Amino acid sequence: MNHALRRVSLIALVMFVLLLVNVNYVQGFEASSLANEPGNGRTFTSSLQFQRGSIVTADQKVVAFSKMNKAFGEYQRYYPQGKMYAPVTGYDTLFSQTGIEQAENKELSGSDPALAVHNLIDLITGKQKKGATVQLTINSVAQQAAYNALKAQGKQAGVVALNPQTGAVLAMASYPSFDPNELATLDGNQLNKNDKRLLANPNQPLLNRAVNVTFPPGSSFKVVTSSTAITDSGITPETPVFAPTQLKLPGVSQPLVNFDGEACNNGSNPTGTGKVPLIFAFTVSCNTVFGNIGMHLGGQKLHTQANLFGFNNPNLTIPIPVTQSNFPLYTDPAQTAGAAIGQESDTVTPLQEAMLAAAVANNGTLMKPYMVDKVTAPDLTTLSTTNPTVLSHAVSSTVANQVKQMMISVTQSPEGTAHLSAGTQATGGIVIAAKTGTAQNGINNSGLDDAVFTCFAPATNPQIAVGVIVKGGGQGADAAAPIAVAIIKAYLAALGK
Amino acid sequence: MASPSDQPLGGGGRATAGTGPMPGPVPVPQGRRRTELLMLAFVVGVVMFAYANVGLGLNGKVPAGMFEYGISFAVLVGGAHLAVRWLAPWADPLLLPLAALLNGLGIVMIYRLQESGRNGNPGFVITTMGARTTALQVLYSAVGIAAFVAVLAFVRQPRTLQRYTYTLGAIGLVLLALPAVLPNSISEVPGTFAKIQISLGGFTVQPEEFAKLALAVFFAGYLVAKRDVLALAGRRVLGIDLPRARDLGPVLIAWGVSLIVLVFEGDIGTSALFFGLFVVMMYIATQRSSWLIIGFLLFVFGAFVASELFAHVKDRFLVWLHPFSYVHTIGFQTVQGLYGLGFGGVLGRGLGQGQPYNTPLVQSDFIITAFGEELGLTGLMALLIIYGLIVQRGLRAAIAVRDPFSKLLAGGLAFVIALQVFVIVGGVTRLIPLTGITTPFLSQGGSSLISSWMLIALLMRISDTARRPAPQPIQDEGMTQVVRAG
Repeated sequence: MNHALRRVSLIALVMFVLLLVNVNYVQGFEASSLANEPGNGRTFTSSLQFQRGSIVTADQKVVAFSKMNKAFGEYQRYYPQGKMYAPVTGYDTLFSQTGIEQAENKELSGSDPALAVHNLIDLITGKQKKGATVQLTINSVAQQAAYNALKAQGKQAGVVALNPQTGAVLAMASYPSFDPNELATLDGNQLNKNDKRLLANPNQPLLNRAVNVTFPPGSSFKVVTSSTAITDSGITPETPVFAPTQLKLPGVSQPLVNFDGEACNNGSNPTGTGKVPLIFAFTVSCNTVFGNIGMHLGGQKLHTQANLFGFNNPNLTIPIPVTQSNFPLYTDPAQTAGAAIGQESDTVTPLQEAMLAAAVANNGTLMKPYMVDKVTAPDLTTLSTTNPTVLSHAVSSTVANQVKQMMISVTQSPEGTAHLSAGTQATGGIVIAAKTGTAQNGINNSGLDDAVFTCFAPATNPQIAVGVIVKGGGQGADAAAPIAVAIIKAYLAALGK
Repeated sequence: MASPSDQPLGGGGRATAGTGPMPGPVPVPQGRRRTELLMLAFVVGVVMFAYANVGLGLNGKVPAGMFEYGISFAVLVGGAHLAVRWLAPWADPLLLPLAALLNGLGIVMIYRLQESGRNGNPGFVITTMGARTTALQVLYSAVGIAAFVAVLAFVRQPRTLQRYTYTLGAIGLVLLALPAVLPNSISEVPGTFAKIQISLGGFTVQPEEFAKLALAVFFAGYLVAKRDVLALAGRRVLGIDLPRARDLGPVLIAWGVSLIVLVFEGDIGTSALFFGLFVVMMYIATQRSSWLIIGFLLFVFGAFVASELFAHVKDRFLVWLHPFSYVHTIGFQTVQGLYGLGFGGVLGRGLGQGQPYNTPLVQSDFIITAFGEELGLTGLMALLIIYGLIVQRGLRAAIAVRDPFSKLLAGGLAFVIALQVFVIVGGVTRLIPLTGITTPFLSQGGSSLISSWMLIALLMRISDTARRPAPQPIQDEGMTQVVRAG
């Protein structure tokens, strides 16, 4: 029996070796991924034992910081700007994180490998561990103007302002918003109550409508259609284009019409049978003209151009993850016509609207949007800085200039759709280049229209590009344009100081 | 009392006090009780240090009851040591200190978990533990060591157990089956599907823990009697030697009944344990490795069938494969255990400084994750090596002992410890699907602790038999010459 007993010893040895290897794997190798598992209460509770890093704006306004709460003996998170910065900062609780709190968690919590040496020195010198400070690209003046303008009109809306030359996010606001302080409480029961109330709110204040909600783009998509047409067909803004009052669509009984069924008439086309210059059609936003252009270009070319402007990108992070804006590949001519004027299955985020204007403003080069400028260690050494990177070359600079010329006409021509709301009289002399959108909504377009506005300013030396969408806001010029104007005026004034 | 190692003639510790030098350089067998005593002193030191550590980690103070606990623990292991000197002086010197260390550390961890959230300590109260759990566990340890001494006292020769083969087999089966036939209010473990205990008047016994020992004796006795027929008679089917049905009958019945009973009691872990014990003892008895292969295949097949038939078994498989998909439901306990292990990392948080109270029922099935969290990978590996040493010493006794019944019994008992540790530690560390069984010596509760001490006593009795020097040859000229007619 001794032979069998020796074999059994070997089996027992193998079993113990398996156990030893496995605990080495779990406690040695897997430990850090277990620690980063969302909902790991141990990690979260121990994270309250030291000071999490602050989040500050580009102009050094603190929007999130941690302070010892003596009653709990733990560090509590404070958001001094509350609702205004909620979509930017997000929140940090045991069960979920959002916004910059989530995207930059490793830096803020001090678990980033770049902080390892600092942590080790702190351990040796007996200093308390501290997280890194995250400095945003957000400009507090632009952010304040953005949130206040959204709040003033009172409908569900999102807005993003970009620096067109770098892609830096200057403002990002969403309405209605929530106060992240309510989710920063250390009292578990209170947290539960607040969380339930926010989730139950029918206005969905937790949604970040600037980057995580999509809307139909409406006529603002004509920026993409024009870019495709000018690039592909070599036409110019002055080229006369076919402008019917009703555009017959193959296989569909209902023709495509203009706003309120009007003719696309610059004075020489009263019957809606002749042609008008492209720039005129753009300025007054004729659906039939762009529907016809889109149908002739075909779905493939529009799809390619839309991709270059940032559509259909599921992986964009700024570093907050951005919901994809959609322009699917249309094959049916009737659908393509509708899609060319921003209907059908086209969807955009306010960020995508800002990217449209930013690409045109930056001579056709689309910069990758980002909102973290740099990360600094507790001893103020810089750990990392974001360098602006090119996302794509959307159009050539020639094409960009021609589209820019048409966008200026939208605000500067007396017949332009945004002449009243964003012309020089409304802006105090600033020349804005823009495109409005009024997206039809609901079954048989019975819902309230979404107001869309994409623009940049000053037109000659672009400093800021803005995308705004107001749900149920009506015409783009009425509800969305004033919000963009308010941000532009405030930001340019702050720059001039 | 003089240690047997002081006696150069080595005529058995207490029987003869031999005098005069040994003729020739024959290696002298030694009882090595002094080594055992020294190691026990070390064990008491380690356990006291850990106990103080818990208090310092929790609230910066040495625990109030440290002195009392220290004295009680030292008295208990000291008593066990004296009993071994008296009853089994040639027994392996490592087994008692290893078991005592595990028992002591288990008491320390149970104290630490009991104190969580109580008396102003950090964490929250583990509601499944009372404020007197530790005192109760010390009491169980005392009963366990008493049972250890009793086994040594009543089983002077392991072979005597062979006489009770069928009696113990019947007792084992009754113990196993009892909870299944009792009403759920008495036999069901609260909050689980497991009908494995007998709970009367606030006092709870898990009879399967004792059934394990009884059935091991039964398997050993039966297989020794039949091993020749089992190994030689029979037919060859598909290259595997199958024994005759009539030789196999009683064992198959015993095994089948134990499996059926366990399935009805909803305790898959113990079922696996009995099956593994049976297969390995069969292999040791017959030397046919085909038994291991058949056993392993049968087990995998059984596990698969069980996972298809029983929802709670399927749940275990799901949690094993995708624990984080069920983090808020059936996987909560496993995931919390894993978080604890990860939180401990390589060096551990330190006793009293982790958050083991987040893991449900951490004091019983998941106690190993509490050790992993607070003592780290380092501490956990040390514990596994202690178990490994116990198994190794047991198997060594099995190889050294001459009597085939003792050989088989020691081999089975040693392997059952290895298997139990593998099933529970592998389960909570996600090496294999989790099945709830106790961690020998560490888990809270009396039955497991007492039966583990009895198991160690059996191994020490067998090792004592193996290491005991042969009696003096009677044809010793010198001795016969001094006999005079009176």
